[in-house]
Amino acid sequence: MRQANRTAILFLIPALAVITAILLFPVVQTLALSFGRDTTSMLRDYEFAGLANYRRLLDTPRFVTSVLNTLFFTVVTVPVELILGLGLALVLNRRLPAQGLVRMAILFPWALPTALNALMWRWMFNADYGLFNAALTGTGIVEPINWLGSIPLAMYSMMFVSIWKTSSFIALLLLAGLQAIPHDIYEAAEMDGVTAWSKLRYITLPLLQPAILVAVLLRTMDAMRAFELPFNLTDGGPLTSTETLSLYAYRAIFQYVDFNLGSAAIIVQFLIIMIIAGAYLITLRRDSYA
Amino acid sequence: MRHPTRHGPIRAMAILVALATLTFSFAQDATEVVLSIGSRGFGEAAPVLIEKCEQQIGGIDVEWNRISDVPNESRSVYVTNFTARNDDPDVVAVDVIWPGDFAGRGWIAPLDEYFTDEELSEYLPGFLEAAQIDGSTYAIPLYIDGIHLFYRSDLLDKYGFDPPSTWEELIDQANTIVAGEGDPDLNGFVSMWAKIEGLFMNWLSFFQGAGGSFFDANGNVNVDTEAGRQSLETMLDILYEHELAPESILTYRPDDARILFQQGRSVFLMVQDFVLEPLTSEDSPVRDDVGFTRVPYFEGHEDANTTVIGGFLLAVNAYSDAKEASAELIRCMTSQESQVQATLLQGKVPTRPAVYDDPQVQEERPNVAALGDNFLHAFARPSAGAGTAYPQISEIMQTEISAVLLRQKTPEQALQDAERQIEPLLQ
Repeated sequence: MRQANRTAILFLIPALAVITAILLFPVVQTLALSFGRDTTSMLRDYEFAGLANYRRLLDTPRFVTSVLNTLFFTVVTVPVELILGLGLALVLNRRLPAQGLVRMAILFPWALPTALNALMWRWMFNADYGLFNAALTGTGIVEPINWLGSIPLAMYSMMFVSIWKTSSFIALLLLAGLQAIPHDIYEAAEMDGVTAWSKLRYITLPLLQPAILVAVLLRTMDAMRAFELPFNLTDGGPLTSTETLSLYAYRAIFQYVDFNLGSAAIIVQFLIIMIIAGAYLITLRRDSYA
Repeated sequence: MRHPTRHGPIRAMAILVALATLTFSFAQDATEVVLSIGSRGFGEAAPVLIEKCEQQIGGIDVEWNRISDVPNESRSVYVTNFTARNDDPDVVAVDVIWPGDFAGRGWIAPLDEYFTDEELSEYLPGFLEAAQIDGSTYAIPLYIDGIHLFYRSDLLDKYGFDPPSTWEELIDQANTIVAGEGDPDLNGFVSMWAKIEGLFMNWLSFFQGAGGSFFDANGNVNVDTEAGRQSLETMLDILYEHELAPESILTYRPDDARILFQQGRSVFLMVQDFVLEPLTSEDSPVRDDVGFTRVPYFEGHEDANTTVIGGFLLAVNAYSDAKEASAELIRCMTSQESQVQATLLQGKVPTRPAVYDDPQVQEERPNVAALGDNFLHAFARPSAGAGTAYPQISEIMQTEISAVLLRQKTPEQALQDAERQIEPLLQ
């Protein structure tokens, strides 16, 4: 038994080594660069600069704006997505005619690549020949609306696209959670004459809580890293009103070739995400033991 | 004799080995040069010129590395490669605003030892300047994509106007035509005023046309001037005072503006020359009514250069181990003969003024020859002087110009803020 274990470990070592190298190296490099002195030679002539890059970040209003934009985007989209996703999951969990088709239709937005999705919405939002303004101004009552070209409307438009796309992802996770709830609990409740609302409030939601936390955790981390959506929908504009942290870090690295500043921004983003994830996980653990 | 096929396989093997050795040693003799250029931007000309140059130079084997034509994307690829000090690709197609930045980082090699001053004088000087840093030349112009003023010739004719040479005339003509047509869908002027590099290009055209110069004689940033205010105020007037442009212009990239003009919904369009192809294609509703002229200037500034240059140059990777062969390839691909050939093939504006006068080009590509004339008033963006700070400077200017156009700041405030942010970058 022990011998077999040792052999198994030996066989695992090469794969583990490769994975460690691929996963760990970029992380360590980014961390090192974020503490390094201004250089484009990556780690070759490395000079330690302490917190200089982080201080530079705090002095950059644009970075602070991108942090606030990202947090605002996350705080609004995730709860709305959760409520819509839960509603969708509850509907999907019932026996519906053409169930397969309905489920596929609801999953469709999530299956679309974000970048393509963003381009599609950019055309629909176009103020002069877009779908929305054509529909609105066609009635003759409304002036054309500059969906992506005005502050703060561009941010709301972006949130709308994100919610449209990812509610179905939450629905999918919650649907799996719903199907794991045993039917006999509901049957017992029905025998006791419990109302539909009470069933939802006292049976479904408590039992669904782990699935909800996982869905919200995944979505929050995703929203905090939003890149393709702002990049393709608004390019961070107007001004920097929809620029997210990821977009800012990308600009710092590939436009300004400032690897150190960009790496520091990425580390800050990483820390924020870790704090949020930690908070979720503590809640999750406490609840599952309670 | 009894087994005639016995030695067959062995002999075949021997021949194969000999052939392989021969091919291998032949390949060893030729210098490998990897050329990195987009497949759409230079179009059909790339493979044709590569094959021709391989034959003309001899002993050189060119591998075409097809990269994206979207500048930001190819830039990311280059940044990654150069940071890794990769010796591939040897020859890189660089956007006109990159040589200052790339040379400042030591990524591209000076070409002074390969090109004589006389050879260099044959290229458009306004374009070549973008690649000349501290007296050295770092890249050779390949093709131009500059900003022009496109107009609806049918509408201008109808109201008896000549194409405008000044902004004052343009605003006047656009006002008259829009009022006269009475079509709520018709705009006077569209362009790319989203917060992109194109916005900075656009503003620079206005700014230069008002007699402005981004850097003063000492290399200090010089935008908080009368010309700076006049340029921004005119853009504001076009947008809000005369309402010639739709407010959505602030989200427009070149193609968005092109589509509106192509739908017959604008009198004037100010973008790069690549739009000429779709505007005059078979399915374009305005194909017979597209005219173009140089970007206007302001009254009293007839001498101002207002055609801002875009386009690509060829440069040599500083880490390349085939610099001489690379320079030869660049010389061949940008020669007079090659440029005539390329122009006839895909209609890109060439970088040698002599090509505009070529009889065959004038005959088969009259538009190119005419566009070429606008480049006699060409200027390059301040990228050579700004060096590695250019991307940040451009971004600051884009943000400040956008802030004015969104009416979040006054022109004075924005120009002061721009100078305050740019000055420390130039230290």
